[in-house]
Amino acid sequence: MKTYTVKELMVPISEYATVPEGSTLFEAVLALEKAQEEFDQKQYHHRAILILDKNRRVIGKLSQLGVLRALEPKDEDIEGFDELSQFGFSQELVQGLRKERRVQGVPLKDLYVRTAGLKVEDFMQAPAEGEYVEQDASLDIAVHQLVLGNHLALLVTKAREIVGILRLTDVFGAVLRDMKECMGTRGEDSE
Amino acid sequence: MKALKDLLDRIVQRVNINLREFEYDVGPFVKNLIPWNQMAKFHAFYGITQNHPLNFEFRHSNLAGSYFLGKCRTNNSILYKSNVRGDELKKKGDRFKFQDVEIRLLEDEGIEIEDSYLIKTLVHNFSHDPETLERFSIMNTVSAHYANIHGSPTDGSFLGAFATVDLTTMNDCVIGEYSYIQAGEINHIKTDPGTVWIRSPGAFNFLYRYPLKKLARYLSCVRGRRPQGILMDFAEARNEAFEKVFNLVDAEPRVGIPKTASLDRFAVVDGKTRIGQNVVVAERALLENAWLGKGSNAQEHCHIKNARLKGNNVTAHGAKIIESDLGKDVFVGFNSFLRGSPKGRLSIGKESIIMPHTIIDTKKPLKIPAGHLAWGLITDQAGLEANSVSLKELSKVKGKLVRGDMYFEGSGSEFVTAFQKRIQHILEANGAFYDGKRHEGHAQKNQNISFNTIQPYPDGALAGLYPSILIQP
Repeated sequence: MKTYTVKELMVPISEYATVPEGSTLFEAVLALEKAQEEFDQKQYHHRAILILDKNRRVIGKLSQLGVLRALEPKDEDIEGFDELSQFGFSQELVQGLRKERRVQGVPLKDLYVRTAGLKVEDFMQAPAEGEYVEQDASLDIAVHQLVLGNHLALLVTKAREIVGILRLTDVFGAVLRDMKECMGTRGEDSE
Repeated sequence: MKALKDLLDRIVQRVNINLREFEYDVGPFVKNLIPWNQMAKFHAFYGITQNHPLNFEFRHSNLAGSYFLGKCRTNNSILYKSNVRGDELKKKGDRFKFQDVEIRLLEDEGIEIEDSYLIKTLVHNFSHDPETLERFSIMNTVSAHYANIHGSPTDGSFLGAFATVDLTTMNDCVIGEYSYIQAGEINHIKTDPGTVWIRSPGAFNFLYRYPLKKLARYLSCVRGRRPQGILMDFAEARNEAFEKVFNLVDAEPRVGIPKTASLDRFAVVDGKTRIGQNVVVAERALLENAWLGKGSNAQEHCHIKNARLKGNNVTAHGAKIIESDLGKDVFVGFNSFLRGSPKGRLSIGKESIIMPHTIIDTKKPLKIPAGHLAWGLITDQAGLEANSVSLKELSKVKGKLVRGDMYFEGSGSEFVTAFQKRIQHILEANGAFYDGKRHEGHAQKNQNISFNTIQPYPDGALAGLYPSILIQP
């Protein structure tokens, strides 16, 4: 069985979708589309965009879910609806109120135009503690961090500098390969 | 004063420890708001009647200007001008019904206040917690000005100014100023100011939240300062009149009252006031040119001015009614503030229900039709339409009703019935239906109370603290 390191599984940052700080949400989405077209891979697509500061250091990450979240209507009433569940109101009532407000609110087409011009910093997630992994770390360390933090990806560092992204899908692929190899070996042993 | 200061620090620490998950410091909301010399200045009072168990126990506490009736115990606590009214406590042998079970009380219920600081707070009714039937306990709790703890055992909690917790067991909660909570049991929650929440799980759920900017005109609480706003100004405006009646040993009533009515000797009555049969006017209530029809009541901290109440009107603790005319059987909930004007009177039709913590403030004439429910902030006709519904319409609701900032879910019929039953019970408890023989209540039982005063150490390290006192038959 092969012993993987993070470096062998990560996507180098040079191949990842990035945009500079100050970009709009639309520019970020276009960068993601471009990276998906250019990245040489067979099974998986990029699912997030990294935001870099002027020194090209990673300051945040915008996921596909983050983009969709940006399209959610933002008004005090809707936030107030969410609080209703804390007072024991049913999900049926809360969802019904959200739906009514959505119908009364801005049409989706207008929402796209409005949201596309907003800055990525308003929606990105800053990397949290536990989201970094050293490039020389072994696969089991990476698995533990992904599971513990419920992360979809980890930022790979080399001497504190971010050099790549370790995606859940790549880790899962490696684990699957290892597992199949182990089961094959066990089968041979038992014969 | 050292012992008193140490006691206050200890109480604040204990409450803060309970509220650590919210990182909430109650100190700035209550410390240094009451001058220390005031705490040593005022007497405390306890009432003796043949109708209520005589059993008082005061240990290591300051009780400045507070009033006690019924079985009460305080320990390591500060009660500043508070009312602890134990005239509705359960008695030995009473049966408490909970779900399908009836539990018999083995001894008289008592109010037990420990490690708590209550400022101008009313404590009344009885414990509705089936787990603590013989004890209505208030532990590790701080309450600010004009709060109400009504039938609600509390532990580790803070009630902001003019907040009410009603028939609810409460642990480790922060209740924002001018909030009213009646939800059975609440744990580890923090409510915004002006939250009015009434919930009966499985039956109904009512929620209204005041717009905070508009509420601030009536009440706002800032750390390190006394509460500010119209509600506070109104509540404190007649302090001198109250100090006067508290300083008199034998005060003669300033108005004639029927034999079946009760006017507390610590209430203030001014102007052309008329008190009808079976009326109850409680301690610290203020009547100015008030007309109270048969069976009406004015509870603690109520203020009724230039107003006419036709009969069987419940004016719950802390409610204010000014320049208004109320039909028969109108209920005005806790700490409501109803203010018309000489040229724009407020009129409320019979059998209407004004929800607890409602503010109606109008300069133009405003009429609430008979049989309506009103809530929240109402300053004109448009506000009334947004914040009211007829009881008939509400009774038909099965599911949801959303109107303005009010959310209702469940059975409207059960909600209306629950309110009507409770109003009926309040009238019965107050003796509104007394016919000379039957249906006695507070109006008849609270007429002959002899009040005794107790005082703290006047100076030295123990200044402000009351010696331990046990009073029994």
